[in-house]
Amino acid sequence: MAVKQIISSLLAVYRRELQSYFAAPLAYVIATIFWLLGGFFLVLVLLSPEGLLALTAQRDQALQSGATLAPLDVAYEFLRGYLGVLGSLSLFVLPILSMGLYAEERKQGTLELLATSPVMNWVVALGKLLAVVTFYIGMVLPLMLCVAIALGTAEPAVAPTLLVVGNLGLILLATSVLSLGMFVSSLTSSTVIAAILTFALVIFLWIVDAVARAIPGGLGAALNHLSMLQHFNDFTQGILDTSSVVLFLSYSLLGLFLTAQSIEALRFQRN
Amino acid sequence: MIEVDDLHKVYGSTVALKAVSFRVEPGEILGFLGPNGAGKTTTMRILTGYLPATSGTARVAEFDVHTDSLAVRQRIGYLPERPPLYPDMTVTAFLHFVARIKGVAAGDRPGRVSHAIRRCGLEEKQSVLIRQLSKGYRQRVGIAQAIVHDPPVIVLDEPTSGLDPRQNREVRELVRSLAGDHTIILSTHILPEVDATCNRVAIINRGQLVAAGQLGALMEQLTGAVSYDLEVRGAPAAVQQTLAAVPGVASVALSTSSTQMDSRYRFTLKAAARDPGEAIAATLVRAGFGLCELRRHQASLEDVFLNLTTEEAAESSAAPTPQTDASTSPETP
Repeated sequence: MAVKQIISSLLAVYRRELQSYFAAPLAYVIATIFWLLGGFFLVLVLLSPEGLLALTAQRDQALQSGATLAPLDVAYEFLRGYLGVLGSLSLFVLPILSMGLYAEERKQGTLELLATSPVMNWVVALGKLLAVVTFYIGMVLPLMLCVAIALGTAEPAVAPTLLVVGNLGLILLATSVLSLGMFVSSLTSSTVIAAILTFALVIFLWIVDAVARAIPGGLGAALNHLSMLQHFNDFTQGILDTSSVVLFLSYSLLGLFLTAQSIEALRFQRN
Repeated sequence: MIEVDDLHKVYGSTVALKAVSFRVEPGEILGFLGPNGAGKTTTMRILTGYLPATSGTARVAEFDVHTDSLAVRQRIGYLPERPPLYPDMTVTAFLHFVARIKGVAAGDRPGRVSHAIRRCGLEEKQSVLIRQLSKGYRQRVGIAQAIVHDPPVIVLDEPTSGLDPRQNREVRELVRSLAGDHTIILSTHILPEVDATCNRVAIINRGQLVAAGQLGALMEQLTGAVSYDLEVRGAPAAVQQTLAAVPGVASVALSTSSTQMDSRYRFTLKAAARDPGEAIAATLVRAGFGLCELRRHQASLEDVFLNLTTEEAAESSAAPTPQTDASTSPETP
């Protein structure tokens, strides 16, 4: 099939999926909650009694009174802390974004339309994944604007690459989780079950991460390499490591591949 | 245009299709008739590439549905039993989406979409959200999505289910108007629909094709055995003898429910020829018997269908309508 046709179908699926988020109240509710919590944590990290600004003030006082303290890059600490919080918050939200990707199609019977159209399964899956990632980026952007404003007051100025790398990490993490969530969604016609299973997957990620930290030696190191959260941590510290990028892209591709396979298998088993 | 050869489909341990073969010529409308659960949807899903067959081949426009799935999918328009619609889209947006994934070139899309809208009588509803449409309109949008890319083959799975009689007629007219340019397979369990829309009919029951052919020829074949009820005044034995001698009469029996009234007797008569009624009347009158009543029984399409699709009838070849020996070979026409 011509490349042009593939791109055209991809865009069609992408646009339809993205548009469906704006047509459904659920997406607005999720975005609202995400922004509320995101804003709340932004304030908390900066301004609460134990927040960074209070901490800095204490340090300034201590320094004035002659104490010696290790230097602290407040802007860097802020970005790392806040991206970590956003990452965790996202992990709660992502299963809800991905739950309907295929489950909804199955429920509406539109999967039969997609499966009998001259479009390859992976094209549909990729279009859907790109759409949901776009929606997620749309959710993260306003919060990043706030972060950029906060960082703009930092003295000395923070390198913008720090923010870009951090966000890239967030988006790559989200893409991986969404991609695997899409696969889960393709297994069931119930969005609730899809959300719960994807959430279980997210919890599993945390467990892997915790185990990786706890186990010494080769196994721990191996798990460490596979743990999405470890790699995400690197990103929040401004470390752009190719291996991390490759890992996230691999997870995303795995999700895409499994989704395409599960739809193919579905066609071979349905009754 | 559509060739189905020896199609089998097994789900686990249940056999859904058994040796189904038929073909549809270009421009024809084939009515796929059968009770619920007979295997109509399964056959259609195999044709559209949604399901693979366990064995056997199906070809659409010279392409094998399994090995050349993409080529087939490009040439087929499919309305599943439940119209596949996105409730959050407007009719126009949805049809544009379908046109796009079906591979209609960008320049042709607006024309194709508005053509489909006109064809299905959706002009008034084109910017309405599908969620707000009534069932009849949804069904029409379902048909519109099946024809929007101008496919040579259209597969419609129960296009009139759940519609009111008026919508029913509209849909039938629409389907009829599509024939000629398109080859159409339409499944239904409603008999008049076949009568009203299709050139040819294939009757399927429990996964097996039990009859196929031109509707008229099939009716003739299957309802060929005409029987008569008679009431004749005269000695029963003599009447019986006279009747049996009439050419075209297969058997005569004194009706058991015969109430002897005024020396009139009732007889049931089975005909071998197509229509021996006139000869029967003439013979009786010539022989001097009083012919009080002569009534012809002809099985309706309904009877044929019921006979073909009920187990007892399918198994005992001694049933009133001659069994489908001639018609079980589906390539008869």
